[in-house]
Amino acid sequence: MIEIKNAVKTYGAGDSATSALKGVSLTIKDGEFTVLLGASGSGKSTLLHIASGLERPDEGSVEYDGMDITALGDKLLTAFRREKVGFIFQQYYLLPGLDVDKNVKMGAQLAGNRDYRKIIEDVGLGDKLHKLPSELSGGEQQRASIARALAKRPKVLFLDEPTGALDEETGRQVLDYISALQKELGFSVVMVTHNANIAEMANTVVRMNSGRIIETAVNERQKSAYEIGW
Amino acid sequence: MIIRPKDTVKLFGVLIMCACAVLICTLFLNSNIDLARIKDQIHGPEMMMIYDLTVSSGNMTCAVTGGALGLTTVVMLLFYVKHYIDAHKSELGILKALGYSNFEIAREFWVFGLSVFTGTAIGFGLAYAFMPMFYRVQRNDAALPEVAIHFNPILVLYLIVLPTILFSALAILYSYRKLKRPALELVRGSKATKVRKAKPAKKGGADVPFLRELKRNILMSRFSLVFFIWFASFCYAATVIMSFSLKEVGGSEMMAAMMAGIGIVLAITTLFLAATTVISGNAKTIAMLRVFGYSDRECAGAILSGYRPVTYIGFALGTLYQHGLMKLMMALFFDNSVLGLPEYEFDVGVFFIALASFVVIYELFMLVYAGRLRRVPLKEIMLEE
Repeated sequence: MIEIKNAVKTYGAGDSATSALKGVSLTIKDGEFTVLLGASGSGKSTLLHIASGLERPDEGSVEYDGMDITALGDKLLTAFRREKVGFIFQQYYLLPGLDVDKNVKMGAQLAGNRDYRKIIEDVGLGDKLHKLPSELSGGEQQRASIARALAKRPKVLFLDEPTGALDEETGRQVLDYISALQKELGFSVVMVTHNANIAEMANTVVRMNSGRIIETAVNERQKSAYEIGW
Repeated sequence: MIIRPKDTVKLFGVLIMCACAVLICTLFLNSNIDLARIKDQIHGPEMMMIYDLTVSSGNMTCAVTGGALGLTTVVMLLFYVKHYIDAHKSELGILKALGYSNFEIAREFWVFGLSVFTGTAIGFGLAYAFMPMFYRVQRNDAALPEVAIHFNPILVLYLIVLPTILFSALAILYSYRKLKRPALELVRGSKATKVRKAKPAKKGGADVPFLRELKRNILMSRFSLVFFIWFASFCYAATVIMSFSLKEVGGSEMMAAMMAGIGIVLAITTLFLAATTVISGNAKTIAMLRVFGYSDRECAGAILSGYRPVTYIGFALGTLYQHGLMKLMMALFFDNSVLGLPEYEFDVGVFFIALASFVVIYELFMLVYAGRLRRVPLKEIMLEE
């Protein structure tokens, strides 16, 4: 379980200070699909970065099963990310000089996962194993980044606008695949999006505005990627 | 104006190279021109031989120093122009989209020549500051008559004006060639290089550690950086060991110190340039490694340690080069039976001193830059684009 308690984050100082999070508290249960929904500048990405240990809050704490990661030093925080979390970003961030196989191996090696090629097959890139990112379409690159994150066998998967750069068809495919894997493997998903339709796929929807949570809703039924609007 | 003079501040390496090259060339060429003025005062075959020896060794020093440093400066300048274009693709693409021609944009790259002008001017000025001491030592060494120092304006033309024009023209031509791409491609910031086909992994490729593959990929991705790091160690070994060797065979202490000093400055400048570029060029890779949980030690190993073998190969080749050059110089220019100079022999002790000092400098550099890897800001990099 992840418990974020009264997280505050401000960027800049003096007149140019921008308050990104103004005392946010949130609990994410194990195996849940949580969507952080909000407009640009609402603080959802900052909350994701703080929840995943990429950034530290100025105030407040982030606890994973009772362990406060904000109190960890850099080395321990790196070790925490290594063991617990996976990331998928809007811009994929695949390593440009390495082929799909090696990009996925980047995640797999951290978990000692020698069967990572099965994941590449599962995301439908079995025939693109030795293609460079520049030789792949946007959807294929995102699937490669999903494979890289999953090959790490994370307990929590953080996604920052994973479909933001994809067309509708590819976006649905990617979400469907993530959703199916989440159900199969039971990891938690925390996804940032500004698309309210995608929120219908989640268990819990957290709406944010101006650095605060304005609503937390639980969906009675999770829709599939092909049932939601776009 | 597309390129502001402050953009050329990054051309610090070019400036240092030019200053060193012009410092050496001005000292020797000015001395040779002044020596030519007193040629008719030199009598006797032995004095004539010493005169010829002084002039020809000066010319050779200029040719070797000027040639080597000049070529390196060309590589460095082109490297910076390419780096600038890669870093400002979008802005350059927008200018092209607005209707500016390739030449109109490329001609602004002349300002890269300013670093050459500044470097050569500094080197020229320094040379005149050192000139009295240089003349005194050179005359003592060579037992030639006193020569007055003259200011030779022709050297301003050859060592400052022409290099500046040449390098400015080179920057314009090279950028013109690099800008010959569709405006949209530049605006989107897509890769300038052709898509390289990935080679299929060998059987059992899954067993090769990822960090080893990444290290190899980073090393192979930028040949210019491999060259600079190789050059730094080559230069250090060649100049530091040669400075000791020259002293052993009766060369002046000032010359030896100057040569060693230039070698050390060049090595440090080149290492600085290369290491900074390695970090900035791989910022996203470093950020992703850290996001995924690779430790600082693993990041430093993958990004920086691949250059270590190149460095030590450079050092070994630099040592061999100086040994060969010393042998050649002794055979061509110095007749020991006449001048009574000691025999040149490779000094193992000096080699180990030079190696140890280089290891300390190089490893300190790597330590400092491994620390800089830790400071690559994750959030800023992920918010780009």
